[in-house]
This record gives sequence, C-alpha cells and structure tokens, in this order.
Amino acid sequence: MAPGRERVASLLEEALGPGKVVAEEDIVRLYAREPVGLESPEPPAAVVFPEGPGDLQALARLAYRYEFPIYPQGSTTSLSGSAVPLGPGVVVSMERMDRVLEVSLVDSYAHVEAGVRIDDLNALLAERGYMFPVDPASASVATVGGAVNSGAGGMRGAKYGTMRDWVLGLEVVLADEEGTRMMLGCRTVKCRQGYDLVRLIVGSEGTLALVARAYLRITPLPEAMVTAAGFYDSLEDLMESVVEVKSRGIQPYIMEFLDEKAVELAAAYVKPPVEARGAMLLVSVDVNREAVDRYSKTLAEILGGRARRVYIARSQEELDRLGLLRMRRSLFPAQVMHARRVLGKERVLKIIEDIAVPPSRLVEAVRGVREASERLGFDVIIGGHVGDGNLHPSIGIDPDDPAMAARAREWFTEVMRVAVKLGGTVSAEHGIGTLKREGLRMELEANNAAKALDIMRAIKRAFDPKGLLNPGKVL
Amino acid sequence: MAGAARSLEEWARREAGKCISCGFCEAACPTLALGPHRAYGPRGRVQLARHALESGSLGGEGLAGVYTCLLCAACVPRCPAGIDIPGLVRALRSLVASGRVEAPRWAPVRVRG
Repeated sequence: MAPGRERVASLLEEALGPGKVVAEEDIVRLYAREPVGLESPEPPAAVVFPEGPGDLQALARLAYRYEFPIYPQGSTTSLSGSAVPLGPGVVVSMERMDRVLEVSLVDSYAHVEAGVRIDDLNALLAERGYMFPVDPASASVATVGGAVNSGAGGMRGAKYGTMRDWVLGLEVVLADEEGTRMMLGCRTVKCRQGYDLVRLIVGSEGTLALVARAYLRITPLPEAMVTAAGFYDSLEDLMESVVEVKSRGIQPYIMEFLDEKAVELAAAYVKPPVEARGAMLLVSVDVNREAVDRYSKTLAEILGGRARRVYIARSQEELDRLGLLRMRRSLFPAQVMHARRVLGKERVLKIIEDIAVPPSRLVEAVRGVREASERLGFDVIIGGHVGDGNLHPSIGIDPDDPAMAARAREWFTEVMRVAVKLGGTVSAEHGIGTLKREGLRMELEANNAAKALDIMRAIKRAFDPKGLLNPGKVL
Repeated sequence: MAGAARSLEEWARREAGKCISCGFCEAACPTLALGPHRAYGPRGRVQLARHALESGSLGGEGLAGVYTCLLCAACVPRCPAGIDIPGLVRALRSLVASGRVEAPRWAPVRVRG
C-alpha cells in the first residue's frame, strides 16, 4: 500500500535534498488545475521540482518502491486534461530544468532541458537566424517537455508538421526499480535505431517515461514572407481558395481560418485597420526576398477571385501593422469575451475542440459541427489551421451549471463523431488526456483497429510496469 | 477599484473567479523565473487569492509568493480574462494585514538556484 501524504513528502525530501519538494497545500493546489476546468478531486501529496535527470531518477526509484503515481507537468496548457493529477500521488514540475544546453547550427539541433519554454528557445535561436518551428498558441509559456508529451502542433504545422517531425532524440527516465536513464534516438536527422521509441514517447502524454532533455531539430528563419488575408461571404468560396492555393503548388507557411463570428469577435478585440467582415483566410508563404512581388501578385489573384476583400502584407512589419495575424492569435481571448456575453456572467469556461479532417472535407466538417452545436443549443465559434485540416470549434459554458456541462460533454462527442465520419481524427494536436479517451476508442473502432488499444496497453506495461506514470490518461 | 462591489472580499472573489488557469500571464512575469514555484507568478497568485478567500487562510509559501509581486502589471495585457492581477494582489495583502485572511506573520522568500 502506498504511504500517506506526509510520509511521501518526507521520503522525497530525504531522497532529493532540501528545497526540491513542496507539500504545503496552498502550493500543491496550484498544480492541480487545468484550463479546461478540470481540478484534482484531492490535492496531490507534494510537488517535486527536479533540477536535473538525477533528481528524476531518485523520484522514479522512490515511486516504484512505494508505489505512488507521478504526474509530470510542464506549464499545464494542453487543453486535454492530460496534466491534471487524478488521485493521490506526486506532481513533478519541470520548471527548474530550463536550460538550453547547446545549439549547433552546423548539426541543426538544439539540446534543451524539458522545462525550456518554446518562445524562450525561439528568442535565443532568432539571434542566430534560426527557429524551432512548432508553435502552439501557448508557446509563450508552453515547455519543450510539455510539447513533446502532448505531440503539440501550431500554426506553422501547414508546412512544418508537429513535434513528431522535430524531435531527434530524447533523454528519458523510466519508473522502474533502477529509475533507468537512457538516451533514445540520435542527434542526426537520419537515424534507424530499431523500433522508433522517440516517436512513441512524443505524444504519449507522460504515460511512458519522464522526459528530461531533448535534441530538437532547428531550421533557418525564412528570408522573407508574403501574407494574404481574404474576407469571404461564403465558406465554400473560402475553401475553394484553399484548394486553389494548394493545387498551384504553393506550400503555405501558415494557412489559417476564422469563421465570420470569430472574425467579428477578434476584430472587436484587436481593432485592425482593415474591413474585417465575413470568414477570413490567412495565407503566409515564406519566400526568397527576390520573389516577394511575384508571390504577392499570385496570392492576390487567387484569393481575389472569390473573396470580397483581400489585404496583402509584404513583410512582417506590414503584417503587424494590419493586425491580421494578431486577429488569429487573439481567438482565445475573443472566445472568452464571447462566452461572457452569451452567458451573461464573468465566470465562464471555454471548451475547445481539436479535430482534424482531410482538408478537402473541411466544408462538410464545418457544417457538421455547426449542426451539432445548434442541435445542442450552443453558440459555436470555429477557427483553425485550415492548411492541415485542423479545426478548433469552441463553446463557452457556465461552470456552475451541471446540466450545461453534461450537454457540453455530448457536444464534445458529437464533434469528434463528425471528424471520424469524414475520415479524420479526434485529436490533431491537443492530445487524448482524460477528455478524449472515448473518442480514441470511437476512432479506432471506426478504422477497424480496436486491437490497437491492446497493443498500446502492452507498450504501457513494458515502459511502466506498475502503471505509475500519469495514470488515467490516454488509455 | 471596488466599484459597485459591497466589500473588498466580494470584489476579490469575483476577480479571482474569472481565472481560467491558462497561464498566459506567466510569460511576462519578472519574478516567476527567480522563485521556487508557481506562487511567485501571476497565475499562482490569482489562484492563491481564490483559495485564501475560500478557506480564510494562507500558508507561508503562499504568503511569500503574494508579497514578492512587484505590482508591475506586466501580466495584465496578457490575461485573456481581463483580471486586475495587481489589484487582486493588493486586495489579498490588505486582507492578510487586517487579519481577515489568516497567515503567518512572516515567511522566508526563496530564490531559485
């Protein structure tokens, strides 16, 4: 039987040394809540703040011996419930492991600790003309370890994909008797190391191993960028423009979409100096400086064929001045404002979905989501990464209304059903966590792959024989 | 600050209740990276206020977090919920000083590293 709360805290202090364990309930509760409104039913016994892989090993050995769960956390911004502790145990917060250990431009990698924030890494890389391209909306606070575990994506996913495409190697610690520490993968882009355990851990939501450090691929910053924003009266026309951009052989750097309601809200928030009315398509292409004119003309021609109004930004400065990207980035606060207005109260909860469908099915997906929302009585707002078919429909709910919360759960399932029906997936980049376990099952069954769940459970047992790492998540 | 609210507690409770725990405020905070944990940053301080108003008490680690806030307001433009974070910290300090929230008389401030 696992020892009591106080005993766990004192064992940890003994093993890790002073100052790395906090058990005061006020503080522990700060690590027991996620933006999706989930809160631990009981506060964890303690929060551990490792300062290196050795501390993670000491924690893992102790957890194995005394059989208490470990809940790893970055900045707790996943939106899937994957970082919330579900029962007694210990939260391990990676915030003190925040060093960039090495940047090699010649070898195109950055070696970083798990607690490094993505924006901080990018600020450092930008000084040398490089970037790490995975940019979740929460990049200002999201950590590398959190992004690895959630398999994060972002706006640049249209061109650069998600974390699984940018993690070369991982240094991990297992929750076994020895607290095994190992380096998986390589520092090189080409790497054949038997089964690809790195990509198994990417997106595993802390259920397989504790991620201590990562070798991340990096790439040069674009030399120049052209951005076009089109405002459309009809969704079909907007999607036709998407098809045309893609069929003309243009590979956008960013390709984003806001529905007309999201545009109205974001414009009220940002107040851009443009006529923002209708649904918005935002297309950015990274180009050589010499090609700026040509791409500006091409994008204006493609979007202008169907949009009511098109704006072109020929540089980052111009894009900032027009506030177009800022509109897309302000979707989250705009949604909060909207929920407050609809519900008539200040304390609201945002429920944000994360489905993906093949881009050719986006019109059907948007229609399906709107129908389901109307049927369940929700005022839905839709935005997303249209370049890779990833939509983030969202609704606002009153956290003090249990009947509404139950309806919201039904909405969540219905939206996932729309994605599965169109050959898509229930989670593109936020993860399964606690909120989408049923959705995962639904998707696998639809693909005739229910056995995959058994295989996943067997993998989980091989990595984490006592089931101590982030229990209750994914499976 | 208090506007139409009947009391400081009521205003603080309403303000803290707006927090959705997104953490966007933390990127701007000058004290978080120097402190030992989240209580030294705005998301932590807002949540501490929420808990203190529920329970009527605040522990030493939390007290140190609340009193290390510089009230610089760098977090305010980052907050999607529009919370007056420095105002909330001031309110909590006032509630502690007047004994309406119980807390130790002093607590050590811990610096990372």
